[in-house]
Amino acid sequence: MGIQEQYRSEAAALLSSGEVKLVIGFGAGSTADRRRPLFARTPEEAEKFVLDAACIANLSTYLVAEGLLSDGKKVGVFLKPDGIRSVNILISEAQLKPEQVVILGYAIENGKDVVPLEGCNISDFSIGEKIRSHTPPTHVIEAAEKIEAMSAEERFEFWKEEFAKCIKCYACRQVCPMCYCRRCIVDVNQPQWVSTSSHTLGNFEWNLVRAFHLAGRCAACGACDRACPVNIPLRLVNYRMGKEVRSAFDYVAGENSDQKPVLASFKQDDPETFIL
Amino acid sequence: MSEPFEPKIVAFVCTYCTYAGADLAGTSRLKYAPNVRIVRLPCTGRISPMFILKALQKGADSVLVSGCHPGDCHFTAGNYHARRRWTVFRALLSFTGIPEERIRFSWISAAEGAKFAELINEITDDTRKLGPFTQYQELQKVIETQSTY
Repeated sequence: MGIQEQYRSEAAALLSSGEVKLVIGFGAGSTADRRRPLFARTPEEAEKFVLDAACIANLSTYLVAEGLLSDGKKVGVFLKPDGIRSVNILISEAQLKPEQVVILGYAIENGKDVVPLEGCNISDFSIGEKIRSHTPPTHVIEAAEKIEAMSAEERFEFWKEEFAKCIKCYACRQVCPMCYCRRCIVDVNQPQWVSTSSHTLGNFEWNLVRAFHLAGRCAACGACDRACPVNIPLRLVNYRMGKEVRSAFDYVAGENSDQKPVLASFKQDDPETFIL
Repeated sequence: MSEPFEPKIVAFVCTYCTYAGADLAGTSRLKYAPNVRIVRLPCTGRISPMFILKALQKGADSVLVSGCHPGDCHFTAGNYHARRRWTVFRALLSFTGIPEERIRFSWISAAEGAKFAELINEITDDTRKLGPFTQYQELQKVIETQSTY
């Protein structure tokens, strides 16, 4: 039995026993190489689940949908390690109760083989060490290093050009599991912190604010990068922020669900070389 | 150029230490550059990075953020939280090419009036050398021309 059939029957069993009210997984997409989220509420619907190497989206973003978990019932969800990492972060930020999430874990190896991950509760997956030793894709590191090697002026020009493309569709915010604020700061208009029309200053501010709000919270799933319709390399900024948090505070987001959010905690001997 | 460039500096300060320090500079009759606009806030923990971006958006050439020394916070830990936030924010500014010299951070206690006066003079001189922050302000001109449609 392939992993797809195995997970289909597991999802169907969860639904028919009434343990979960909903399973969030993948269904067929609009083209052969795309997958689309599928929300199964009956065992019959669970037969439509697809699980293969094209299932790269981070489905944990649907867990924070308003009202989904407020009835105290459980929800099943297909998650890769980066999704499990997001769930860890969401739990540490008190956005999820660990007992409400049943995880159908899988990993994609070498970009083609789908292997199951043992466990169903968040506590079954000890991903801390894997996350610490995990290196992001080489093209991300190389691109970030290239930017860091530039002069400040060149960096500004680089990002000015990238952010000038932004159409403020907020797809990056929509797809991100960490962007769960009921009212995003960009939607606040009294005072209007971020200019909302599509010009470069407002785009700059929006992207800076989003990167700052994700500092030490990003699970590096790359969903924002994939969602961006104008291909702004958003994950580079998030990668740089993650690197900073790690070097300055030895903090890696989503190692476990008990950690305190990095910007909501402190140590008395945190580095402060830049403060006069 | 018709008029020589005078830098605009915005200082976000906490009311318990740096504001009192600035006050001491005044009562001690210390002379310092008049280019600074002080914004008084309850604590450095209240200073959101949005304030800095807003100041730059509205035409500041440099920004100073200043509060109590570690351990002296009126609210016990506000400046520790702020310090973490600044570390991350500075890295972000640097990565996106906003010159770090324009955003300064300092600890100034209520007794350090002289330090405040010196720092303001230093920032004013440095900003005068750097020149106006046209890089960022030109992005703003894009708004003005677009919004006249």
